[in-house]
Amino acid sequence: MTLRGRAAAAAASLLTAAALAGCAPPLRPLGPLNQVLQQAGVNHAPALSDRWLALISGRQGREQVLLIHLQTRRPVPLPGLNRPDAQPVSVSVDGEGERLAMVRQLDGRTELAVYRRSTQSLQRLPIDPPGVPQQVALSADGKVLAVQVSRGGLWGVDLIELP
Amino acid sequence: MSGDGRLLASLVERDGRTTVLLQERLSGRVIPLRQLQRQQPHSSPSLSWNGRYLALLVQRGARRLAVVEDRATGHLHPLPLPGDLEPQRLSLSSDGQRLALQLVQAGQRRVELFDLSGVLEPDRAPGQRLGGSAPEGAGGAAGP
Repeated sequence: MTLRGRAAAAAASLLTAAALAGCAPPLRPLGPLNQVLQQAGVNHAPALSDRWLALISGRQGREQVLLIHLQTRRPVPLPGLNRPDAQPVSVSVDGEGERLAMVRQLDGRTELAVYRRSTQSLQRLPIDPPGVPQQVALSADGKVLAVQVSRGGLWGVDLIELP
Repeated sequence: MSGDGRLLASLVERDGRTTVLLQERLSGRVIPLRQLQRQQPHSSPSLSWNGRYLALLVQRGARRLAVVEDRATGHLHPLPLPGDLEPQRLSLSSDGQRLALQLVQAGQRRVELFDLSGVLEPDRAPGQRLGGSAPEGAGGAAGP
């Protein structure tokens, strides 16, 4: 091994040791994107794919689902998804930004739905056997949906294959 | 769920402690996580595309800490935050290059994004370009 190679190996070893000891350097924030998020309002429940960030954003007491394209740093329109009388609880996006899965409260019920951006359509999905959905996670290909469901006070995970 | 839908990470109660469980989705086979036997309660597990990386929140002392277990190398990467920020929830991008954290500071919550490209190698879908993400506009509604 060359001197440079040994130095690099030693540095890597030190970094690894520091990381394992909990002395890793602080994470580097993505400044421009974080500015966009700050301007959007009070945000929570983030869900990332490679090129998209879905989250729940609140402003003036009203919360809505926001989908941000990470390269352009801009929110995209989601016509037909957000309603003033609905309270989003959890959201997830596939890798292409085509499908969003969400849990929301509407008319005193908690429901699970999938939104397709290309058709601007929202499809409610039944929970069977009945239960209360809480969180969703969509696979990157948008074909499998994992849903955290409460039934009789017990939590479980339902897996739903989407057409 | 991993990006390819093959693996599922969930939370179970084990000896009264909330612990992350990694399973193959179709067979239910449990996959051992060597580095995550302690530091419960665990929360908010998130997997990369092929399931190489599992990010989650663990308890370290009195604080919550974001960590990533690299299942390929067995390394556990702690991801400390600047200042007095406390993580509440996380989401790992499927290529493992970005992390979204729901944070709380002085009672106010917010979401921030962090760069992991200097910490983790990309864990991309098979066939994806090495130089970055798939081209803009490829496949259905990919573009904004």
